Amino acid sequence: MSDEREVASAIIRLMQGVIYREADEDTWCTLERAGASVRDHFATIGVDVAIDEDEGYAYLRTKPDEEGEDPLPRLVRRRSLTYPVSLLLVLLRKRLVEFETAGGEGRLVLTTDQITEMLRLFQAESTNDARIVDNVETTVKKAAELGFLRLLRGHSDHWEVRRILKAYVDAQTLADFASRLREYAGAVAAGD
Amino acid sequence: MEYEAIDALRERHAAWRLLRAGNASLILSFLGHFFVEGNRGACAASELGAALDDHLYSLNAAIHTESGESRYPKPPKAYLEDWAAPDAGYLRRFYPAGGDEVHYEVTPAFEKAYAWVESLRARPFVATESRLHTAVELLRQIVHGTDTDPQRRLIELRRRRDEIEAEIAVVESGELPLLAPASVRDRFQQFTTTARELLSDFREVEENFRRLDRAARERIATWEGSKGELLNELVGSRSEITDSDQGHSFQAFYDFLLSASRQQELTDLLDRVTGLDAIDADRRVKGVHHEWSEAAERAQRTVRQISEQLRRFLDDQVWLENRRVLDLVRDVESAALAVRDNPPAHGLAVDEPGITISLPFERPLYTSPAAAEVESLIPPTVAEVDSDVLFAQKFIDQARLMDNIRAVLPAGSAAFLSDIVSMYPIEHGAAEIVGYLALADDEVDIEMDDSDVTILDYTNPENPENTKRARLPKVTVKRR
Repeated sequence: MSDEREVASAIIRLMQGVIYREADEDTWCTLERAGASVRDHFATIGVDVAIDEDEGYAYLRTKPDEEGEDPLPRLVRRRSLTYPVSLLLVLLRKRLVEFETAGGEGRLVLTTDQITEMLRLFQAESTNDARIVDNVETTVKKAAELGFLRLLRGHSDHWEVRRILKAYVDAQTLADFASRLREYAGAVAAGD
Repeated sequence: MEYEAIDALRERHAAWRLLRAGNASLILSFLGHFFVEGNRGACAASELGAALDDHLYSLNAAIHTESGESRYPKPPKAYLEDWAAPDAGYLRRFYPAGGDEVHYEVTPAFEKAYAWVESLRARPFVATESRLHTAVELLRQIVHGTDTDPQRRLIELRRRRDEIEAEIAVVESGELPLLAPASVRDRFQQFTTTARELLSDFREVEENFRRLDRAARERIATWEGSKGELLNELVGSRSEITDSDQGHSFQAFYDFLLSASRQQELTDLLDRVTGLDAIDADRRVKGVHHEWSEAAERAQRTVRQISEQLRRFLDDQVWLENRRVLDLVRDVESAALAVRDNPPAHGLAVDEPGITISLPFERPLYTSPAAAEVESLIPPTVAEVDSDVLFAQKFIDQARLMDNIRAVLPAGSAAFLSDIVSMYPIEHGAAEIVGYLALADDEVDIEMDDSDVTILDYTNPENPENTKRARLPKVTVKRR
């Protein structure tokens, strides 16, 4: 493929989703070589290309607004997640940090049982254990749809925690969530 | 050693635990044979499980218990998971970065226990003479390597030269002083013991490197001061992996072993030694330097991986981000516990990956689905039919069909079945076509499109002159 077409293909792939080096070598090579032209293309519409060479993934995010300029309409949409899914993502993020601190080599893999135990602490006391397990399953499926968990081939309950979670659930997102949750907790305590 | 120290070791050290375990004979015999004698590194769970299955089968057949049940009833996978559990610690279990399958590796604690059990076998004699020589030689190396007085060193060198000249004179005069067979065996025994110890030490070297890395990461993660001070501390306290004592010694060993002239010298020496009559060497000794290289290579790879990960961990962004993340997660956790009975309706807001583009005019107009005609009314007949045909079954090798597909299709692409068949003509008639359609594998997707028709010609396996034609919906084969 000629250079221009390769760049065009890379741009389209980025618009379709996250690019992983291990899944899509060709596009990754194009990004390494012609990254500048891809970035320019997106810069005109206010979108930033984030390429993490160490982790091996690339994705789009909104360019931070410059001072004094009118903000452009957002192309990269934000979606609000439900509380159970959000809690799961936060706990998984913590496990990723712990895994890295302990020198984890390879991938972090958790079973559905382990995830259930992690979440159980934060559920209301209930005698209906089956319901808790069902809820956890739905939550895990939703997280997998979002692309943060991946079912290992050949297993029905082993999930790999994908490192892209670090990029999407970053300190800023966590800070917003933490402050809103604290306000809510304060309101609930005051209302009691 | 003190009582408390020994008691603690007895409770907590994995090697002692292994010796006290009920299944110790099974664990030592199997894992020792597979990992230590086979000089293997980390191994996939399926391979290890299959080997354990064979081993258990033969053991269960040979050992008879009073109750009639097998001595080792659990499935291999269960045993492996038990041995890798934190309160056992004979195996290390992890998911490597490359694949989806869990890998197992034996721990240095296991090597210690195994080496100890091996040493219990009575030795024919104990090598003392050669060990004394070695000890004196080591002392000499230390003393003269650290001597700063040139005069003393010259005296020593001249003494050695005189010794060698005396030896030359003796050989020139026709006498050849040879080592007595007992001395030869003595030295050879020491060599084999040292060689085996070296091999088992490599695992401990790897484990030491991992421990150093973990200690470094802990320091990094819990550091309260600034990044600059942290870097100073790390560099200053020699905790960086390759700078530690372990690192230096290992690097020196590796360089020494890997030079081509050394390898050649070792091969020659080993060949000649194993050819001597006085020595009864086993096969493995001849290739021991290859085993050293393999084991050293594995350890080297581990060091590289660890250093790389540590470098990433120290990266500015990652370091700050991790600290903040942990604090924030703690906030979220405490708030979540407080609202556990009244969960809020809102949650995180996350970016969607990519940009959604909807092109309303790209959607095709309605096409009615192709009707499949079924003729199900067949008039009954009174004719006699040879029912042997029903029982003459043909066996279609699905693995061969998969190989055909793999040879034609690169990963991640698709092709028509007619293309695959034109490259690999049908040999077994209609049954093979059905075999293709019925392939159920993770790697391959078979899709049928009713709106178009494929025509496949093949020779009748019973009557090679005859060509038959099959008409079926268009079939696309996709490979993941």
